[in-house]
Amino acid sequence: MPAPLPPALSVSGLTKALPGGRVLFSGLDLIVAPGEIIAIMGESGIGKSTLLNLIAGLDRPDNGSIAIAGDTLAGLSDDAATRLRRDRLGFVFQAFHILPHLTLAQNIALPLVLAHQGAAVALPAAHAMLAKIGLAGRGDDYPAQLSGGELQRIAIARALIHRPALILADEPTGNLDPETAERILALLLAEARSTGAAAVIVTHSDRAAAIADRVLVLTGAGLVPRAT
Amino acid sequence: MTAGVPVTAARWMLLGEWRAHPARVVTAALAIAIGVALGFAVHLVNASALDSFERALSSVNGAADMQVRAATPAGFAEALYPRLARLPGVADISPVVELPARAAHIAPDIAGAGRGRVTLIGLDPLRAIAVTPSLVGRPGGEAGVLLSRAALDALDRRIGRRITLVAAGRSHAFTIAGVLPGASTDQAIAVIDIATAQWHFGQLGRLQRLDIRLGSDADPVAVRRAITTLLPADAILATPEADARRTDSLSRAYRVNLEMLAMVALLTGGFLVYSAQSLSVARRGPQFALLRVLGLPRRALLAQVLVEGAALGLAGSLLGIALGQALADVAVSRLGGDLGGGYFGAGTPHLGFAPGPAAVFAGIGIIVAMVSSLLPAREAAAAAPAVALKTSGALGDPRRAARLWPGAVLLALGGLAALAPPIAGLPLLGYAAMALLLAGGVATMPALVRLLLAPLRRLTGLPPALDLALKRLWGAPQQAAVALCGIVASTSLMVAMAVMVASFRGSVDDWLVAILPSDIYLHLEGAEGGGLDPAGQARLAATPGIASIAFVRQVPLRLAADRPPVLLSAQPIDRAAPGRRLLLVGTPRPVPAGETPVWVSEAMLWLYDARPGTRLMLPIGGRLQPVFVAGVWRDYARQFGAIAMADSDYVRLSGDAGKSEAAIDARPDTNIDRLIPALRRALPPGLAEQALFGQPRQMRAMALTIFDRSFAITYALEAIAIIIGLVGVAATFSAQTLARTREFGMLRHIGVSRRQIGAMLGAEGALLGLVGGLAGLALGVVMSLVLIHVVNPQSFHWTMDTRLPWGLFGTLLTALVVAAAGTALLAGRRALSGDAVRAVREDW
Amino acid sequence: MRRLAPLLLLLAAAAPVLPDYAPVRPEAPVVLPRDHGAHPAFRTEWWYVTGWLALPDGGRRGFQVTFFRTRPPVDQRNPSAFAAKQVIFAHAALSDPARGRLRHDQRIARAGFGLADAATRDTALVLDDWSLRRRRDGRFVTHVAGDGFALDLVLTPTQAAILQGRSGYSQKGPDPREASYYFSLPHLAVSGTLGEGRQRTPVTGTAWLDREWSSTLLNRRAVGWDWLGLNMDDGGALTLFRVRDGQGRPVWAGGSWRDKAGRLTILKPGDVIFSPGRPWRSPRTGTAWPVSPTITVTLPGRRLVLAVVPLFPDQELDSRRGGGPLYWEGAVSVPGGRGYLELTGYGAPLKM
Repeated sequence: MPAPLPPALSVSGLTKALPGGRVLFSGLDLIVAPGEIIAIMGESGIGKSTLLNLIAGLDRPDNGSIAIAGDTLAGLSDDAATRLRRDRLGFVFQAFHILPHLTLAQNIALPLVLAHQGAAVALPAAHAMLAKIGLAGRGDDYPAQLSGGELQRIAIARALIHRPALILADEPTGNLDPETAERILALLLAEARSTGAAAVIVTHSDRAAAIADRVLVLTGAGLVPRAT
Repeated sequence: MTAGVPVTAARWMLLGEWRAHPARVVTAALAIAIGVALGFAVHLVNASALDSFERALSSVNGAADMQVRAATPAGFAEALYPRLARLPGVADISPVVELPARAAHIAPDIAGAGRGRVTLIGLDPLRAIAVTPSLVGRPGGEAGVLLSRAALDALDRRIGRRITLVAAGRSHAFTIAGVLPGASTDQAIAVIDIATAQWHFGQLGRLQRLDIRLGSDADPVAVRRAITTLLPADAILATPEADARRTDSLSRAYRVNLEMLAMVALLTGGFLVYSAQSLSVARRGPQFALLRVLGLPRRALLAQVLVEGAALGLAGSLLGIALGQALADVAVSRLGGDLGGGYFGAGTPHLGFAPGPAAVFAGIGIIVAMVSSLLPAREAAAAAPAVALKTSGALGDPRRAARLWPGAVLLALGGLAALAPPIAGLPLLGYAAMALLLAGGVATMPALVRLLLAPLRRLTGLPPALDLALKRLWGAPQQAAVALCGIVASTSLMVAMAVMVASFRGSVDDWLVAILPSDIYLHLEGAEGGGLDPAGQARLAATPGIASIAFVRQVPLRLAADRPPVLLSAQPIDRAAPGRRLLLVGTPRPVPAGETPVWVSEAMLWLYDARPGTRLMLPIGGRLQPVFVAGVWRDYARQFGAIAMADSDYVRLSGDAGKSEAAIDARPDTNIDRLIPALRRALPPGLAEQALFGQPRQMRAMALTIFDRSFAITYALEAIAIIIGLVGVAATFSAQTLARTREFGMLRHIGVSRRQIGAMLGAEGALLGLVGGLAGLALGVVMSLVLIHVVNPQSFHWTMDTRLPWGLFGTLLTALVVAAAGTALLAGRRALSGDAVRAVREDW
Repeated sequence: MRRLAPLLLLLAAAAPVLPDYAPVRPEAPVVLPRDHGAHPAFRTEWWYVTGWLALPDGGRRGFQVTFFRTRPPVDQRNPSAFAAKQVIFAHAALSDPARGRLRHDQRIARAGFGLADAATRDTALVLDDWSLRRRRDGRFVTHVAGDGFALDLVLTPTQAAILQGRSGYSQKGPDPREASYYFSLPHLAVSGTLGEGRQRTPVTGTAWLDREWSSTLLNRRAVGWDWLGLNMDDGGALTLFRVRDGQGRPVWAGGSWRDKAGRLTILKPGDVIFSPGRPWRSPRTGTAWPVSPTITVTLPGRRLVLAVVPLFPDQELDSRRGGGPLYWEGAVSVPGGRGYLELTGYGAPLKM
């Protein structure tokens, strides 16, 4: 029997206050099992994005610890946190953030080349991802030629190409029409499942929440399971 | 390893950016290229001009190991020749008569006074062959003259023809026996027999030069010492090193000035790269943030932006070197080797490719580009990725005021540096002061923008476009400052130069009016070695129609072997009122009894420390004669010093009653145009052909033309600096407006018309131009004070009165405002032509 | 004629006043010691010392020390001290058989300032650091130093001077005006120092001084001359000269023979036959020099046939770079005598 894998994300006792002094959360705990898809909902301004930033190592908690696939973030230097992000995390943003002057394949391959892979390895991998997301053969196109839904597919491909342990998605369907949103969520789910990545999806959308294994709501009192 | 730059990612980002915005890249590279080109071109021209000047000098001098030179054109007694010849260590010695001369068939003319001039050299070929073989050609005999190729061409004569040469007030005809094969091609030299030279040009018993070749085993120091002890007061020992120093000092200040201007152009180019890079980095903030989020380490990002700058620098520098070489070629063929400065004579220097300097200037270009990229790169790397990802462009908090003190410190340091004395005869700290003032001025811009715009911001009832523009400039001073860098830098430099040139020109004009009070001026060309004798003077003075005539004797005196000669001007000065003939600076001192007073030009103060009240030793009449410095006068004609003396004193000390110039006042009823031919007829033959008559108006016009010609290159460099500045404004605006596409889209959405956005942009541009122009003007005036009161006196040893060219300021400011508004509008039109809806949705 | 006078005056003022060279006249003989000094009125003049030196190690050298004075055609009115009214030049050469080539050097300068001078009262020649002087006791002293060699010699006359031709009037061509004043001092005893490189060696030997001055020396057809001066071991002295035309034919010839008893025979053109023999060709200039001629001299009652052998063949002296001639001047010997042979005008016609 194989040794049990560490959780994809383990957050315990997390406390964070805004510079003004308002406490966003205090003593927050969260365990995401490998391959588990979590949706986090909550009111605007409650601190969902801040939570994601803390998990990504882009912001520092006032207290508490975060571990990604068993590696603790606390105490890591900026460079080490950057490396951790590069190797273990994938990102999907509301605003897509696809670089306009890189080709689609180059955009998807970014996590690989940032990890010092050569173009000879990274680009074929990106083309393979393009096929999976239904944009086969468009690797040399530029983002300007794409619709919003297509852009987000590129983002999903980029988030998964380096087989991260955890995908962080901040309102991935926020800029999309409902139909497109549905298809994108399905794709995200399918791809996460196929690579075995866990995902934390921050969303306002019930449809988005519906695909998750677990739906949590961020409130002033911490993360609570959504009442069904 | 992991902290290093991911090479593939960096390459993709760089090439992607360049493909997306080629114009921006080209502009930035061009800015560096122009700077490097100017620096390199000026350096090349200077180096080659100096080189050809040195070649010309050594071709007149032959290649002697040492030279004894006369302190005055009157020469020294020839008895020195056998005495030095017998010294141990002196292997060969060649006696030389050297006189400034003219070809009689080319009439002197104020406009082209240099035409027809030759250096007449009389030598004994049997002696010269061992010392200065380049001056020995086919024997021409007593009646023959050997001409250098340049002289042959300039005098328009062929071999075998006759030519009459005039020197020391006498003329003699020769047959052109041949060409001097060894002489430099750009020096007009005529070589005749030494005995003929002495006999026919009044130099019996006198020599101007002894060229010496040392034995191979001689100790130069010992020989120099032995020679020095034998030298009379009117001779000076010169060595090639002293010659080189003299050549160098002749034009050094001018050359350093030009090189500094070229460096300024390079610096302005650096500002442009800085503004382009920092805007481009600001615009790409979210992109860089994304890379940081996806796993690009901070230092790798820094390195990537620096590499981008270096690549820009390299491309720009290579282009600049090629451009510089071409520019130098054009400049040399159009303006001559001195770029119109009049320092190097008529020769045309030849340019070759200089790999060393090329590498240096390319290196400077790359460094400037990298330094310009460093600040934006650090800003990009320091940004918090999570924040930067969501904001488009660095905006900052509009309430946060920019810091004033770094700029203020730089300005203060600049002020201090301006007070420092020259280093090695050059105003190096003066230039440092200029650089510090410039840097300080630019650094205070963000704070200054707020300060200048604050009162405007409170105005109400402004048109919405202007209101928006004001708020934006006030709120984003850092960005506004970046845009202003180029404007302020180039405007201030232009203003500084313009004020200096205007002050200089005005002072020269005043000076010309003051020194030219008479109706007619007579100058005898090539009369340094002789002149108009008393009988001739009397005949000239008796010409009908003359109210008064004042004769002047001008003699160059060699006071130091490593400095160019100073001019001694003996004129009818009234001891009690020297100010009647001289433009005095300060109050003259009373002359103690028994002293011979002289009045020195400002340059004498700097070069020989000839302060009023001290004594100078002048080699006059074959002896060192003590004279009393009684005052200082302003003289723009002789950078290396001039000494005025009462003519009665000069005749007493020298026994030389010949005159080389005269100032003539006509009777009121006399027609001056008829008086001049009468005066010419009154001159003895030989001198009449060499007489130059001038009238004050024409002479002033001539002098100012020469002045303008010598500043032509300055004007050109200034214009280029301004163009670079405007290109910077255009680049900044187009970058900013593109970055603000979303903002414009939003504005269009909420009902602002396209025209109003255009007006807003135009207003922003105009405001920037106005603020930049005003700041540049203020800074420029301060910098001009450094130029006028520090750099010029220290370089050229003259002072001037400050004059502000208000008309030029107005024109400049208007041009700046119009140009800035225009470029802003032009850049905005492109941004507005896109689809407004799409613009809002786009992230960057 | 009267109307032409002003014009003539003008011409006179413009044209240079050239030197009026003194003529050589048969009725004015050479007088010694007066004529040891220079004769500046004549166009050209020389002091020609040639001889053999013996070194302590048994080595032999030939040497030549020659001073020339010439009066160029310059304007005589020029008051400048630099005017080239007299020019002094000098050649010195050393023939070392071990080296097989000459060492030679030269000096030239306008007379003046005491740096270059030919005194008129007695032999006193100065040319920068070179000199040749006749002391009061009649001995000559000379110092020359040049390219790797130096000579400091005292030359002591052991015999009376030979006045060549008619009491020193020596005809050099068919026209009696083609003549020179000419006397020789053979059998000068030499002592002094020879410098070669850094080494200085005491030397002794025998030398010959030729003194000649003239204003019109050579016939128009002449291209060069040959000269031979031999100190015979028995005290006799033979002087020969031959002026050649372009085809190598003699234009004029002459010389003298003084036997050991002091009887002087002046030679007429027909008395001298010069058979060139096998020439030596210079590898530098390509000139063929008859360096080992056979001389036949007709004396009263007998005929002297002398086979001349050079110390070594390459004693060519090329002074053309300094404006001088290309000539051959070498130490030679004959059975029972030693001396110097001079050959000129073989490369190119000699201009005097």
